[in-house]
Amino acid sequence: MRLSKTFVATALLSTALAGGALAADPIKIGVVTPLSGTYAGIGQQVRWGLELATKEVNAAGGIMGRPVELIFEDEEANPSVAVQKAEKLFEISNVDFLTGTVNSGSTLAVGQLADRAGKLIATTVSFADSITGDKCSPNVFRVNARAGQQSAALAAWLAKEKPKASVFYLGPDYEMGRSTVAAFRSNVDRVGGKSLGEVFAPLGSKDYTQYFGQIRATRPQVLYTSVAGNDTVRLLTQMQEFGLLNNLTILGASGTVTAQNVGAIGDAANGYVTGVGYSAQIDTPENKKFVDAFRAAYGKDPDLYGADSYGLIYAYRAAVEKAKSTDPDKVREALSGLKWMTPQGEKVIRAGDHQAVQTMYVVRVDNGKFQIVSKVPGEEAIGPDTCKRF
Amino acid sequence: MAGVLDYLQFVLAPQVITGLALGVAVVLVALGLTIIFGLLDVINMAHGEFYALGAFIALALGWLGIPFWALLVLVPIAMVPIGYIVERGLIQRVFHSGERHVTTLLLTFGLGLVLEDSLRLVFGPNPYRPETPIRGAVEIFGIFLPTYRLFLIVTGAVIIAAVAFVVYRTRLGAIVRAAAFDRHMAASLGVPVEQVYAGAFAFGIALAGLAGVLLAPIYSVFPTMGRDFILMAFTVVIVGGMGSILGAVVAGLLLTQVQSIASLYISPVWTDPIVFGIMVLTLMVRPQGLFGRLGHG
Repeated sequence: MRLSKTFVATALLSTALAGGALAADPIKIGVVTPLSGTYAGIGQQVRWGLELATKEVNAAGGIMGRPVELIFEDEEANPSVAVQKAEKLFEISNVDFLTGTVNSGSTLAVGQLADRAGKLIATTVSFADSITGDKCSPNVFRVNARAGQQSAALAAWLAKEKPKASVFYLGPDYEMGRSTVAAFRSNVDRVGGKSLGEVFAPLGSKDYTQYFGQIRATRPQVLYTSVAGNDTVRLLTQMQEFGLLNNLTILGASGTVTAQNVGAIGDAANGYVTGVGYSAQIDTPENKKFVDAFRAAYGKDPDLYGADSYGLIYAYRAAVEKAKSTDPDKVREALSGLKWMTPQGEKVIRAGDHQAVQTMYVVRVDNGKFQIVSKVPGEEAIGPDTCKRF
Repeated sequence: MAGVLDYLQFVLAPQVITGLALGVAVVLVALGLTIIFGLLDVINMAHGEFYALGAFIALALGWLGIPFWALLVLVPIAMVPIGYIVERGLIQRVFHSGERHVTTLLLTFGLGLVLEDSLRLVFGPNPYRPETPIRGAVEIFGIFLPTYRLFLIVTGAVIIAAVAFVVYRTRLGAIVRAAAFDRHMAASLGVPVEQVYAGAFAFGIALAGLAGVLLAPIYSVFPTMGRDFILMAFTVVIVGGMGSILGAVVAGLLLTQVQSIASLYISPVWTDPIVFGIMVLTLMVRPQGLFGRLGHG
């Protein structure tokens, strides 16, 4: 009798322990992001945004009582490296949810991997329209604004401020560059501007002077560029050194000039205009609270990458709590059509293509500060759902 | 007519001049490569990494507060013992085997990998951008040119002329060329051939280091920076004639001008196939290159 009592007690105790361990079992989120290379600065913002939100969520009791744990891997902004690192996270660390990819090629490649593995990924950075367009996937979500949304806002500004402007395009030579240039070009044509030509430079180009010849030859009033990270620093400072910024308006993709690289660009960034889903200047209590917390933690302003990455953790929490599970099929169901609050206001994930719909801003750089010059409602900027896979 | 002049002044001329700055940069890297090949008959696959090493030494010394002008002298001097030790300690050990080209190529290739990864371990993978030593731009006939690029063109021309003078017009150069032409004859005349070989290798490495110092403010400093120029430098050496200094200068300026002017009409990315096409044609029609080998002219 005594023996069996001890036995029962031990059994109960071990069940309790196991149960306790289960309750505290962390929800692991894989983060494959560039921590080195041309896009290292972007990866840094992604990391800060995710870590800040994770800290807040964990302090408030985690997701369904479980703490969130982030596991970082360096993708070097290189799709083949991203695939290896994502595979490692899916197979060895056994994460159910993965984010962080910056290079649009990496997002597409990791998305295919997620399809095969039956896991979910979300990008908070990649711009290429195809990710939630013709190459969409049921397992891939995007919480940031894509090229089409940015271009719609920027083209509306261009039509008002510089009607019938002549435009030359310079993009990075991969999925994102091609997609952003195509999206903006079609918008310029729509509002009556004149497209003079386009040229694409490899990611991580050290010297852009070879590209200046065609810019000089066509004499544009406006240059649209979608290079990002350290590439923008080199492009704009070299253009300034060669006297090309005189009488030229520079427009760009959301990620071309951000809080992360504006310091290094210096006054070559003055007057730069972009369509973007976030600015630290957004005047709402939610954003003020976010910017203050971000500055207190890292001593820098958040940019769109930091803000969108921060918002993702809250989207995932909302979805998991709605699904009451981290099972990819249930979370997918919960994320589709999800409405949640972010520093830049409410966002909605469109169920048809997994693209977030949000208010878009036109932002101009004045002495290193991002001033909001106009605003476009989310529904007007989003464009049609072209995803046919689900 | 006005349109043509305008095109020449504002489109073609700036493109030619920026191409010239690029050409001088390529020639500076190719110079050491061609000297090492011409004199030692060694294809130095680690040349790009020695160029990177020079840039990193300059970066580190710059952090200690040493001004750029002093670095132009200090870094090549620091590279000399490194080159000397590599030649005596590594290359000489495999140099005398029958498969000399294969063994030295593999050795220097491996050395390049080790150097690149060592730089990555010490300095991390991200690029550093040193301050441009001469800021501002000059305007000549309406053409804007950053002052530092002009400085690069002038300094590069001076360095190239000085190297050619040493190799072709001095007693030291004559000794080196004699050792390259016929080592046994030179040795029997009392030339310390092994010292000459190590010295010539060290000289080539010092030139790579100097190129690193000069180009760092334009192209930034990062562990894989050696890869950016090395393909172009090899092409220049092949087209110009393996081991020919004049060939490297002519081919370097010619190929970069082809790239620059073609960039006005096609995407600059597509100028690489043109340059490599010229290399393939050269190898088919005139395998020795435009000019013959050093010491064999």
